[in-house]
Amino acid sequence: MGDQSRMTLFLIPLRWCRGVLLAALLLATPAWSADILLTAAQDSAGIQAFTQALAQQRPEDQVTFTPLKDLPAPSRLPASTRLILLDLPGLDWRLQDAQGPPTLVLRISRLQARQRLGNTHPAKISLLWSDPPLERQLHLIASILPQAHRIGVLYGADSEFLLRELMQFAKPMGLEIVPQRWDNTNDSRALQTLFKNSDVLLGLDDPQLYNPKTAKNLLLSSYAQQLPLVGPNAGFVRAGSLASTYSDQPDWLAVLDSLLDHAPANWPHTLYPEHFKVVGNPQVARSLGIEQVDEAAVATRLAEGEKRP
Amino acid sequence: MLLCSLPALADDLFLDGQPLPQVLTATRLKQSAAAVPGSMTVIDSELIKASGARDISELLRLVPGMMLGYTTGNQASVNYHGTSASDARRMQVLIDGRSVYRAGLATVDWSDIPVAMEDIERIEVFRGPNTVSYGANALMAVVNILTRSPANSQGSRMKVTRGERGINDFYASQGVGWETGDLRLSLSGQQDDGFDSNAVGADRRDGRRLNRFSLAVSQTLNAQQSLDWQLNVKEGTNQRPYTYTPVFDGITEGGNNSDVTAKDYAGSLRWNFDFNPDHSLYIQGSAQQWDRRQIWKACDAKVSFSPQLTQLWQLNPNYAERLARNMETYSQGSAPPGSAAEQALANQVLDQWKHQGGKDPVCGDIDQSTRESRYDLELQDTLSLSDGLRLLSGFNYRYDRADSDTYFNGTLDDTTWRLFGQLEWRASEHWLLQGGAMYEDTHLSGHSLTPRVAVNYLINPRHGLRAVYSEAVRSPDMFENNVNWSYRVTNLSSPAYGQDSGQYFVVTRGPGNLDKELMRSRELGYNGFFADLGLNVDVKLFYDEITDMISSPLRNNQYIASNANSSRFTGAESQLDWRVSNADRLRLTYAYVDASSSNPLDKAQTARNSGSAGWLREWGQGWSSAVFYYGDDALNQYRFQRVDLRVAKRIAVAKTNVELAGMLQQRLDNQPTTWADNNYDHRHVLYFSAQLDF
Repeated sequence: MGDQSRMTLFLIPLRWCRGVLLAALLLATPAWSADILLTAAQDSAGIQAFTQALAQQRPEDQVTFTPLKDLPAPSRLPASTRLILLDLPGLDWRLQDAQGPPTLVLRISRLQARQRLGNTHPAKISLLWSDPPLERQLHLIASILPQAHRIGVLYGADSEFLLRELMQFAKPMGLEIVPQRWDNTNDSRALQTLFKNSDVLLGLDDPQLYNPKTAKNLLLSSYAQQLPLVGPNAGFVRAGSLASTYSDQPDWLAVLDSLLDHAPANWPHTLYPEHFKVVGNPQVARSLGIEQVDEAAVATRLAEGEKRP
Repeated sequence: MLLCSLPALADDLFLDGQPLPQVLTATRLKQSAAAVPGSMTVIDSELIKASGARDISELLRLVPGMMLGYTTGNQASVNYHGTSASDARRMQVLIDGRSVYRAGLATVDWSDIPVAMEDIERIEVFRGPNTVSYGANALMAVVNILTRSPANSQGSRMKVTRGERGINDFYASQGVGWETGDLRLSLSGQQDDGFDSNAVGADRRDGRRLNRFSLAVSQTLNAQQSLDWQLNVKEGTNQRPYTYTPVFDGITEGGNNSDVTAKDYAGSLRWNFDFNPDHSLYIQGSAQQWDRRQIWKACDAKVSFSPQLTQLWQLNPNYAERLARNMETYSQGSAPPGSAAEQALANQVLDQWKHQGGKDPVCGDIDQSTRESRYDLELQDTLSLSDGLRLLSGFNYRYDRADSDTYFNGTLDDTTWRLFGQLEWRASEHWLLQGGAMYEDTHLSGHSLTPRVAVNYLINPRHGLRAVYSEAVRSPDMFENNVNWSYRVTNLSSPAYGQDSGQYFVVTRGPGNLDKELMRSRELGYNGFFADLGLNVDVKLFYDEITDMISSPLRNNQYIASNANSSRFTGAESQLDWRVSNADRLRLTYAYVDASSSNPLDKAQTARNSGSAGWLREWGQGWSSAVFYYGDDALNQYRFQRVDLRVAKRIAVAKTNVELAGMLQQRLDNQPTTWADNNYDHRHVLYFSAQLDF
């Protein structure tokens, strides 16, 4: 603890110096030029690459990465800082103070947020969802499998809360959600029941259900019934899912770019990225007798659909 | 390489989730229906259940072109398109990759297959020759029975079926899973009375009673390797009518049955290894045994065991038979005209008949039991060379042994080596070329090479046209080629020629030099799925020829097998599977087969028109129904038309599911089934089942 305070004492004056410099610059540069601080519990090549890319994207801003362990309590950071959290320990750290700089939380899924926050919305924190938005996934299904009407959805205790909104999205699209609870992933009877009543499966990004252990049984048994799986994420498409929407680093950079252009007061509490891509598995499509997913065209079509009210 | 469109996951902070194994790899994915290099009918679990069928053979009525007849109530005889009125010999039948074709006697005992209907996940029928993929004997079609994977068999299931015609079946299974594997244990039994009466209205003795035990285990060893193993046992009794008719006049005594006690044992072990997503192999070893114990009482004149009559038969069977059938006449005068040696022997026999008690009846036991074994080892390698090129290759070693005093005068064995390879090449989005060959070397009947080539043109991924040329061979089985058929009668009621056992004078020997039958098949087909309608259509035109055909019926008086015959089957068949709505499914099949054959018997089992129609419906609130019509004109001259109705109600109580079902089969015609001896007293049969899942 003592070490940490000493370090922060050392850091803060440095930052202040820089702050003074920035303040001087502020008079000359656009009003939204800012100090953007990224943090995560662990550094990695991916984080460094992302930090660099963001810095390049916003040359007028001061973009830095500081590991979580080197940061003071959030409330001791200048209020003008734009804080970007890249992992869940970062969120835990940020939540210890009700006060603190405006914060964007990346790489957090709906499930993870619910487990940590329940239904609360802490002030000055914007959650940017990492899991593909359900409505977008439904539109993806409608686009690549126009004949599918019964959407089989496995859910568990953690993901049950998503069903209601999924059904709300499905209804106006004329799709029927066939939910099936799957508590014991060693018992595949639930799968068999669901497969019988579905035209396609939509995967919820619930790691209890979709993980390296369950992937084999899930994909092999749905394939045996000639039932395609859409989602739950891009990684699963490589494993054998038919297709999914996803947002990669360039998409997130674009999302951040536009958010950072706005005053934090206008940041939404939660946000699904409007920039995204589509990935399909051509071998699975071929084997199921489905047209190859034209990734760019489908993504464009979905994006256009989302722009329309 | 193959999924080049996927982003490079490792470099992107937002895509580096947990590492997932690639499950649906190029080696695991199969061709879509429109791209299959041949005609395929899949009988899925929904159809199996809705059909209410109690036997695998009955399910094959759902396959266009399949001809199902009955020799007796417990001996189904299944042919694709035709041939072989008494025994179906030209189809490969596999259970999870293991051939259940009997090692020695060239038949499939459908009723004795040690698999319960409830354990079957689906049946894939490849309509047409395909030795490249399924091995020799896949001459006319391949029936591939796939059991439910243990992973999909968890929990407990119990089912009882009771009904008219002595129907009394049960099934019980338990599935358990653990961290790295799953297991299914099932016990089942079946019982019925078979047909009611024979051609003269007497009781038909063809009931059956059987019990089965089955254990299936699948284990994951690590990310790349897994093991699947199975043990199956079946025991039971198949009634057989007493058919022994004395050769000599004046014998009235006899037995009343020639029932068979049938025991089947099978074990298999399969080791799967995935080197990487583009390369996998498996090694499967299996051992099987078929025990058929069949002993009956036979009575005939003592002269049947005369060494001189036996000698005479070996000299000239026609002469010996003429003498034996007219003993009383010739004993009044002298031996029928013939060579000096024949007449000398005949006179001795006649002397035995007249003066040495040769006409006295004597009874004893005839033992026609057989024991057949097969050991099989197969390695199959699947290699995806590029996005559009896949190579399937492997080898197979098989050892068959048949042990029967009656048929082989002891033991006979055979070894078979097989090498096979098939290349699938997706030349473009539309063109798909698939070809391969199999080389087989059989110890008893030599070697052969059979090619197969198919071109598919995909109009789009759901609609494909195909042209297929394939050759296939069938090796003569041990019985056809190497039979050494004679009856030894033991426990004689009075000694004959100084012995209390005797060798019956009729001895039949196989030629030993039979060649393989050759099938040449040409096929044009279309497979399409109209996704917006939920309609799947398959149409096939075929021209199949079998040459060097061994078509003599398997009988023991003067069995002369040769490759002298040939057959030709031409025609068209279609199947239509239409999911009209979420609640309704319609299914139609129809086959038109024109058969011509040098031996008229080989087209007796061909119905010119045959087909089926089915309607499955979910009515809601747990009610469901299925109606099926099956019909063929003139199978062995007898028409067959039947309507089956199954009505079921599912009740869910907490985690327990109960299903009660009633099944009515109504024959629409008044004809015997396949043979004049196969008759039912009533045209309908009713049975009920109750199933409990928890």
